[in-house]
Amino acid sequence: MNVELSELVRRFGRTQAVAGVSLRAGPGVFGLLGPNGAGKTSLLRMMATVLAPSSGHMELLGRDPGEHAQRREIRRRLGYLPQNLGYYPGFTVTEFVEYFALLKDMPPGQVPRAVATAVERVGLGDRRRSKLKSLSGGMLRRVGIAQAIVNDPELLLLDEPTAGLDPEQRMGFRALLREMGERATVMVSTHLVEDVGAACTEVALMNQGSVVFYGTPGELTARGEGSGAAGDAPLERGYSAVLAEARS
Amino acid sequence: MTTATAPARPAPTSRRRVPTPPSMLRLWRIELRRSPMPLILPLIALLFWFDSYRPSTSQALVYPLVTFWNMGQGHTIIDFGPFVAGMAAWIGSRDGRRGTADLLTATPRPRWVAQLATWAATATWAVLAYLVFIGVMFAVYAHRGVLGEPPWWWVAVGAIAVVTFSAGGFTVGVLFPSRFAAPLAAFGGFLALMLSSQTGFRDTSGWALILPTNSNGNFQPDSGLLYPYLPDLPIARMMFFAGIAVVALGLAGLPVAAGGGRLRVVAAAVTAVGLAATGTAVGLVSTARLGPHGIVIAALHDAASDKLTVYIPVCTGAGFRVCVNPTYKRYLTDTAAALAPVTHEVAGLPGTPVRAVQVPAVYNNSDGQGGQAMTIAGDPPVLSVPLGAYNFLPGPTGFSSISITPVGVFDQSVRALFIQAYVDAGSGPGTPAQQAVQAALLQGAGVPFAAQPGLLSGLGPMGPMGPRPGQATGRVYAAGRRLAALPAGTRHAWLAAHLAALRAGHLTLEQLP
Amino acid sequence: MTTTATHPSPAAPAALPWMSAGARLTRLYLLSRRVPAAAGLVAALGCLLWAALQWHWNIAGGAAAQLVIPLIVETGAAAIIAVTSHGPFGEAERATGRWLPWLRLGTALALAAVAFGLLAAGGAGGYLPGGSLALLRNFGGMTGIGLLAAAVLGGSFGWTGPMGYLLITEGALAGGWTTPWIWPGRPAGDLGGALCAAAVFAAGLAAVTLLGTRREDRGPASG
Repeated sequence: MNVELSELVRRFGRTQAVAGVSLRAGPGVFGLLGPNGAGKTSLLRMMATVLAPSSGHMELLGRDPGEHAQRREIRRRLGYLPQNLGYYPGFTVTEFVEYFALLKDMPPGQVPRAVATAVERVGLGDRRRSKLKSLSGGMLRRVGIAQAIVNDPELLLLDEPTAGLDPEQRMGFRALLREMGERATVMVSTHLVEDVGAACTEVALMNQGSVVFYGTPGELTARGEGSGAAGDAPLERGYSAVLAEARS
Repeated sequence: MTTATAPARPAPTSRRRVPTPPSMLRLWRIELRRSPMPLILPLIALLFWFDSYRPSTSQALVYPLVTFWNMGQGHTIIDFGPFVAGMAAWIGSRDGRRGTADLLTATPRPRWVAQLATWAATATWAVLAYLVFIGVMFAVYAHRGVLGEPPWWWVAVGAIAVVTFSAGGFTVGVLFPSRFAAPLAAFGGFLALMLSSQTGFRDTSGWALILPTNSNGNFQPDSGLLYPYLPDLPIARMMFFAGIAVVALGLAGLPVAAGGGRLRVVAAAVTAVGLAATGTAVGLVSTARLGPHGIVIAALHDAASDKLTVYIPVCTGAGFRVCVNPTYKRYLTDTAAALAPVTHEVAGLPGTPVRAVQVPAVYNNSDGQGGQAMTIAGDPPVLSVPLGAYNFLPGPTGFSSISITPVGVFDQSVRALFIQAYVDAGSGPGTPAQQAVQAALLQGAGVPFAAQPGLLSGLGPMGPMGPRPGQATGRVYAAGRRLAALPAGTRHAWLAAHLAALRAGHLTLEQLP
Repeated sequence: MTTTATHPSPAAPAALPWMSAGARLTRLYLLSRRVPAAAGLVAALGCLLWAALQWHWNIAGGAAAQLVIPLIVETGAAAIIAVTSHGPFGEAERATGRWLPWLRLGTALALAAVAFGLLAAGGAGGYLPGGSLALLRNFGGMTGIGLLAAAVLGGSFGWTGPMGYLLITEGALAGGWTTPWIWPGRPAGDLGGALCAAAVFAAGLAAVTLLGTRREDRGPASG
């Protein structure tokens, strides 16, 4: 198992953003669904080791992120795309990805090829020398994905990765996720249920800091059948049905 | 979640925790390529031209004078420091402004280490620009024919100071990533420099010498000409600035976000080392004393730097031979012309020098440089002339703070100093009898009595006591007038008989004819 | 979303319902520009000025040199006002209606007035060369330079204008310049210096009001 969370809690003042989440994940693509404020981003940030849990136990890639040396080892094998991607406007695409490849302690000799590969994989090969300030929002998102995958991570955490991508790019991105999920644990936090349906093998639905559903996309779809819940697609109806149940 | 069926990925080999130098080098290269520091350079260039180069164009063409304002009083640092600090603060606040904090935290390399790479690129640009601007300025000086040795030690001090301002500003930006970081860093840097210019402004000892705008004991016309610039104070200042830079960089590693606990302990140790270096430098400077060639710090002093510069002098031809350092060649004719009447006046008398040579001016506590006496010594007697000490050298600028020094002032001053040396009055006004003989001989050399009080008081310690400036009255001048009224031959004979007693201070006014 | 009729949801209450819309807008605009923090910093500069005058922090070098410490403080205040003009919203804000220029103008004027008051209070009780009249002229002109720099270079770089002018002034004072464009070197009641400073202040206000500050998302720096 690459991810083992046990009763993970995170509070911000009086607000409990994550309220006792437990889950286990090995290689594959794992979706995190939920409405705004459900705690998805906070959960992902804890798994990215940028936010410490208030309580609970977490083991990532067989290591304890609470211990400094092990946390560094986790980060060397981690890829993370935050929801709000910050960037340096004057850097080129290649420089930005290379910057983070170096910060991830990749062997220097491997960096150029890894950077080129990552940039190609997100479809920005012809823009590799463009400055980030000249890119559209969708392209910037793809740059963010590139820096997350440059070190071929064992644990890949993506928060709203398809924001700003057009449908063709989203299809390509889903293929990338499936490919990466063959060897790594990929956690995708998203609002877009169709992304979950197309790429994820398992999905957790969060609401108000807790996991209210955990299973396959098919099982989530089944929850919506006959429920009369809102939704244009079966998975959406399953999503609505589970949320309605959780809120009742 | 199902078990993966894909082939196992080779685990990354564990490496030492010390960052691999090539990676850091590459981080530095990326930051160097994309650093916004060059954006401030056009403004700095304009200010550098206005504030550092332009004022130097009115100075005589010797390095100690053309660089007195920009190097000696730290104006190159003033032109660079605040702007480098402000820009570095803006760069240091980058992660806060750009929202990249999470991205950086999620990497194994500590944030402090990544920030050091960013700072290193910032400092590289700042120092390179400083050296290029100084280099261009010195190239212009060379083209204009400025003489002497450039003050390389002071160039190095300025470079280290620029690094320090970049480190201080960068840390301000890291610790306070706000829009106000840059202006406050720039303003604070400028205020610190301006306040330092008033602290110990006239001191030639004490800790205030460490301050970058304190020029005492550093720049005098003969530094870099007749003897080298002493490196003692520059070395102490470099240590001081380097210590502050290290403190600043260490402080950036102290916040929790900078890295793990062990790394922050290292940062604290770095800060302590910087404080120790700074304190040591201040302590060393507190032991400084003003030596003949500048500030001497015993613990840093190398005796080799006391050696005079070897040179081939330029001399006049026949007659009373005057020899000067080639840098002073433009004053050779005027010096010889000034000395001619007085050497004629005392020709053939005991102790009359057979020639004159320039000797190095020495630093002393009166405003860091001397209005220094000539001396006559040796067998045969030779007149020693510390030309570099005189602020009345003739020409469009002379070595004076006034824009024009008339040749007449130079002539009269040289004659007065010669005669004072001749009667062995030392560096003071001499006895009344010596003063009276000086007055008479000056009259004979073409300096009227009426002009003498003003002339002598303008020469500082060598002015006579007694008559107030502008009034050639009193017993001394009365005796002088009587002596001057004698026929030349009579006066000459009396001097021949009484010079020894006069020089020994045994004569009184009443004993003058 | 269903096809049944929807009922208009009740309007969300305003954060401070007792304030008029204009006042709420102004408050939010000031907060977005960190004006309260700027005022606090200028107040600190006022205290610094008071301390400098009380304890006779003077630059060695004669009467002209005595101007330098107050000028540095005035420069700091002008630089703070300049960077306050930077807006964090970019295009979204520029694409709004007619209020933005008035907000820019009002903020710059009000902050300059408050800053002048704070600096004048700091200078009270001590010898401020030229008195409050010179302070008004010098600070106003510096602020104008800062606003012009912000309009041309971006709000984040607005501080470079006053700092550059300060350095030029310092050199000009040492050289005995008397041009009215170096207004700190002119007597307090001098008309030429006052006109030049006022013109620069007006130009800076106009630039920031009408043009705003240079967009930094497409701006000069990569930092």
